[in-house]
Amino acid sequence: MNVIECNGLTKAYFRKNVLNGLTFTIEENKITGLIGRNGVGKTTLVKILAGLIKETSGEVRVFEQHPFNNLYTSANTILVDDQMFFPPALQLHELLEVAQSFYPNWDMELAQRLLQYFSFDPSHYHQTLSKGRTSTFNMIIGLASRCSLTILDEPTTGMDEAVRKDFYRALMKDYLAHPRTILISSHHLNEIEDILEDVLLIKNGKTLLHESISDLKEWAIALQGASTVVQKWLVERNCIFQRQVGKDTLYAVVRDDFTKENKEEALRGGVEFIPVKASDLCVYLTNDTKGGIDDVFER
Amino acid sequence: MILNPDDTKPIYVQIAEWIETEILNGHFQSDEKVYSQYQLAEMFTINPATAAKGLNLLADEQILYKKRGLGMFVATNAKEAIVHKRRSGTLKQLIQELVLEAERLSIKESELLEMIKAARKKEGSQ
Repeated sequence: MNVIECNGLTKAYFRKNVLNGLTFTIEENKITGLIGRNGVGKTTLVKILAGLIKETSGEVRVFEQHPFNNLYTSANTILVDDQMFFPPALQLHELLEVAQSFYPNWDMELAQRLLQYFSFDPSHYHQTLSKGRTSTFNMIIGLASRCSLTILDEPTTGMDEAVRKDFYRALMKDYLAHPRTILISSHHLNEIEDILEDVLLIKNGKTLLHESISDLKEWAIALQGASTVVQKWLVERNCIFQRQVGKDTLYAVVRDDFTKENKEEALRGGVEFIPVKASDLCVYLTNDTKGGIDDVFER
Repeated sequence: MILNPDDTKPIYVQIAEWIETEILNGHFQSDEKVYSQYQLAEMFTINPATAAKGLNLLADEQILYKKRGLGMFVATNAKEAIVHKRRSGTLKQLIQELVLEAERLSIKESELLEMIKAARKKEGSQ
């Protein structure tokens, strides 16, 4: 079953399209990473999916229903981000009780054990928490609610290294015991790539790539060697990124469609093949220029 | 083992290689059940689909075999298959790189052989 279906989804703010005909589907019980540069509409997208804002045009279905103002979506979806609103008059332990009444799958024991593990004082108030502690508390709500669709928008903002590690481990352990559809948006693909099954890469409000993470790692390859030799191999190939290294060495990233014979021939010619990290590839793909920041300084 | 996220090898390949090493070290015998995709996911904090891909890689190479509903088991000749694969694959590739580097440094063949012999001697005396 597809938990999320988007078809030509568009959202405009002040006549400017943030989402620009976004189309993708997400299957049940998959963990998908939502990746894109600042301001491409990741947060807008997850807010539409959670039913908090309404799309401008196009089709969006969550659990085969239209999510905006939908009670079924609200009860089965949770959006964890740093803007989660909690009533300021309630203490942390009271917030857990209120959350329990909201979410049918809520696990109070898990919530309380996590609260204790991360040494929260149950009688504190949410707005007095620091940035990292706010993210940690929000994450506890996100995990314990066990919503069939759990959306985490930059969940580790402000968390220290140890808490991040604990968080990803807790997420994986709870997911294995209680599989559900999880969508995580993050700027740090290298931090989350291990726990992902798929990656959804967004650029200019459109789907740029929707691949499994292991395919993404083998999707592209970098060639490094003498410029003239590397250039020869770039003919008729779409170069994703290239950079001059040292005096006469060129580093170029292309789609990996080389045959074994191609590779052996290139190797003999002195070209080195270097695998490209998934996080680097995403940066290259979402750059507007082929040379990145270096292009700004080229005059 | 801790997975190396900076390693350019995909995680599922690292998982497959780790299981191979476990078999070579005798931690798993023939016809013994290996870890399930969920156990691997828990152990390494990775996606179970990634773990399954690693297991399937070994099943395709007939190092593991599937028993429906029971999991993955070590094939009878798994050890030999792994040794054979690493000899013809990994070692061969390392040697190719070695020869290439030697050429760049204009090291003669006899010199290279001497270096290998010396390294082997040192390894043997330890």
